[in-house]
Amino acid sequence: MTSKTGDHESPQTLATSTAADLEPSAQRVPPPETPEAVQTRFRVIAAFWAVIIFLGFPIWWKTTSIYRAHLPIQDMADWADGKTCRPVFPLEIHVAAPTMQLPESQHLVRTTQHALDDLNDFAAHHLRLKLTNDTAAYTAQGSEHSTYVAGNMVDDGPDTALTVRVVSQEGLATPRSELRADTTQLDIFYPPSQVPIPSSSNPPLSVFIAEELQRLYSEEKATIAHILSGDNSGRDSERISRRLRRSMKYADTYHLSFSLFTPGSAPSSWDIEAAVQEYLSPLLHAFGPISNFTIDTQVQLYATFSPMAPPPIYDEEESAWTLKKEDLSAFINAAEWPLNPSIGNGPTLNFILYVPDPSQSPMIVKENHASSWIVPQWGGVFLLNPPLEQSGKSGSQTNPAHITQESLRPAFMTFSHQLLTLLGTPTTPASLPLRLQSLIRVRAATLLLSASSTMGSLARLTESLPSIPIPATVASSVSTTLSHLSSTCSHLRDGRFGAALASARIAETEAERSFFEKSMVGQVYFPDEHKVAVYLPLLGPIGVPLLVSLMKELKRLVAGWKARRRSTS
Amino acid sequence: MALLLRLLQALALLLFVGAATAEHTSNWAVLVSTSRFWFNYRHLANVLSLYRTVKRLGIPDSQIILMLPDDMACNPRNAFPGTVYSNADRAVDLYGDNIEVDYRGYEVTVENFIRLLTDRLDEDVPRSKRLGSDAGSNVLVYMTGHGGDQFLKFQDAEEIGAWDLADAFGQMWEKKRYHELLFMIDTCQANTMYTHFYSPNIVATGSSELDQSSYSHHADNDVGVAVIDRWTYYVLEFLETQVTSANSKLTLGDLFDSYDMSKIHSQPGVRWDLFPGGEQEGRLRTVVDFFGNVQNVEIENANSTDPGSLKEDLAEIARLVEKWRKRDEEYSAIIGNSSQSQGEDTHSSTVQLKSKKPVGPTKMAEDSSWGKRLVGLSVVGACTAVWVAGSILGQSA
Repeated sequence: MTSKTGDHESPQTLATSTAADLEPSAQRVPPPETPEAVQTRFRVIAAFWAVIIFLGFPIWWKTTSIYRAHLPIQDMADWADGKTCRPVFPLEIHVAAPTMQLPESQHLVRTTQHALDDLNDFAAHHLRLKLTNDTAAYTAQGSEHSTYVAGNMVDDGPDTALTVRVVSQEGLATPRSELRADTTQLDIFYPPSQVPIPSSSNPPLSVFIAEELQRLYSEEKATIAHILSGDNSGRDSERISRRLRRSMKYADTYHLSFSLFTPGSAPSSWDIEAAVQEYLSPLLHAFGPISNFTIDTQVQLYATFSPMAPPPIYDEEESAWTLKKEDLSAFINAAEWPLNPSIGNGPTLNFILYVPDPSQSPMIVKENHASSWIVPQWGGVFLLNPPLEQSGKSGSQTNPAHITQESLRPAFMTFSHQLLTLLGTPTTPASLPLRLQSLIRVRAATLLLSASSTMGSLARLTESLPSIPIPATVASSVSTTLSHLSSTCSHLRDGRFGAALASARIAETEAERSFFEKSMVGQVYFPDEHKVAVYLPLLGPIGVPLLVSLMKELKRLVAGWKARRRSTS
Repeated sequence: MALLLRLLQALALLLFVGAATAEHTSNWAVLVSTSRFWFNYRHLANVLSLYRTVKRLGIPDSQIILMLPDDMACNPRNAFPGTVYSNADRAVDLYGDNIEVDYRGYEVTVENFIRLLTDRLDEDVPRSKRLGSDAGSNVLVYMTGHGGDQFLKFQDAEEIGAWDLADAFGQMWEKKRYHELLFMIDTCQANTMYTHFYSPNIVATGSSELDQSSYSHHADNDVGVAVIDRWTYYVLEFLETQVTSANSKLTLGDLFDSYDMSKIHSQPGVRWDLFPGGEQEGRLRTVVDFFGNVQNVEIENANSTDPGSLKEDLAEIARLVEKWRKRDEEYSAIIGNSSQSQGEDTHSSTVQLKSKKPVGPTKMAEDSSWGKRLVGLSVVGACTAVWVAGSILGQSA
């Protein structure tokens, strides 16, 4: 019925409009909207869009954007490429010639410096000679001073690497050198006849001193060249890279763990505290400028070999139990011996004192009768064969129940040596203070390079992973690192190696901290399908009506605008 | 002549590079199972079998990171409590009595896994839960669970994408956290997981191609579920029967050649292109380069007198000790004279090795418990008063 009435009425209304498509299905048109209603609808739509644009969009932008602090990418990359700093190692060597006249000694220093410069083939590492005259005071003080090089860096002058004392001695045909093992002093004895004449350009004494110095620092020079260039060519490279490989990575703090392992019930105690205090603490103190150390000790009874390890074999000739060299890597029962305690935050160096069972004592290594070995980057092992005791009536032999400090002496001397090796101390020259100084320079070079390369890694990471957040702490760590790197570089240039190492340590720590910042976790990759899947259910139902109404409103506005223009024209 | 020289040079360089890259100084293993619940027993068994193998070949517990999202040994449905088996013959209890699980239960998440690889962990996370590898470390990463095209599900709750994994390895390479890396994965469509890797020195292998499932090997009727996956089963079979000692010379090539599609029922894949020298060079790596802990110990010759040898060092250290003893005596003499001057000097002369006193238990409770009770009582009282007053006022209104 209603449709019929509609059909009837439609021609009337349509007659007023264009007569283009007169169809019977056309419906009755609603009454025209009042301008107020149009206005209200416009306001409602505008309000919705205002909320979306001024509130929704900024909130979405804010909550989904990733904070990325500004990093000096170019500086960081320059450090990593070695463009900012060419590390140099000018070693200052004091020369004292108490038995010579001043012009003679000046001439000697000058000619020796010439000879040295001629011998040197690695520009970054060079020796600078300096004449000092108050020898007596210097030698007494110099040795003390240089033992703890980095301990007192108050003075601005360069560290003295070595003091050369040139002394005349009767009854010598050729010059002779003697390195004092416990100080940083090299004594050169020369026959009085060889005092350099100011006219001679190349006196034999100068050549001799230059060659001695060159020899003294050849290993350090090769090591630094190896580290800086990273190439594996050269005479000593195989030896040096082997040494670098077995030494631990640098850490600010090392944890030393001393363990007594024995397969039986004895010995069950050892004078460890006294032994550490007596034999080890001097060395640790000497290492003070380079690293810190913490120590723990343990005694483990009934510690058996792993069932996989080949057992020791009795050797009739030696009347001893022997371990084969190739089986030593299986000696440590890593599965069952409680090693590597997770104490502190430094890497652990393990030192194992193994007391064999009385039935297998003495125990030695088959090939060279050694009783100790180093496990690279891990620690050292020492086989202690204490004198056995007869026990009671049965006559069976047992290990002593207690190991005294004196019997721990060889073990701890060996551990000290192993510690030196594991920390990467150069093997020459034959003076411990000099070797430690040398280690300071080597470590400074290593840390400078490693912190620089970490900066480079961080810069590349920042560029390659745009979705990773970079908090402000990283930026501040980076700037600390860069400033300490440049101060390391300038300290090195001025020959203050202790200070350089101290700066490099800070730079390295900060560089590590910035790279391993905990909030920089790149677990934010979403494929595009995932984004669509997340946003579509949310935005579809809201977005479609909003967009459609916006379009309708725009259409109406455009139509109105056109109509107005037509009416005005 | 010049050409010959050049050729020789190149050859020498090649040899040298070969020698230099072949060297690694430590081994690490990251073994991850990603699925939870009893019916995924086999995934935990897979990982525990691998754990047992790498431990047998010498990687110490401290260098194995084991992630187990569930505890099958103590599951109430386990007919053999306290044990996990990967074979129906139940010959080897994988749980044993010496096992160190580093990440357990709900700690096994995508985030923790990525943090582990990139070492972006809190400072107070112990070293046993960290991957402490460096530029000389060979790392074995083994993952198993349920996965799909370019993702691996973690615990039914989240998933790791192949991109994230690739980025994590990329960051490891940037920070020199591995020397060479062997990535193994046993899951459905496993080979898709390593398609996005871009950092060098990685060998990757997976159990099945895109749109292929990985199947379980067999079920134990008494345990009631499948106990191991096929691919892992045959990898382990190779490792257990052929790589019998840490000195084994078998290569990765041998391992990958042992894949038999008729047994595995899916197409295992290997990716060589990231490895320098490609397949040719990669095949020569020994299995124990990744599964074992090859350490070349250095014996000290007690009789040699080279610089830096044991004997020389001992003499130097003995001198140092002697010097310190003298110094100590001098200082004690000085202190004897003037007892006040024992300030900094004594500190510098003796390294402080204080024995730490064990921290005893302390009572956590505060002493003012009575005060707190009083406060609580008055609050309750006030509330009651308000309620009573309210109800009276309401009645009167």
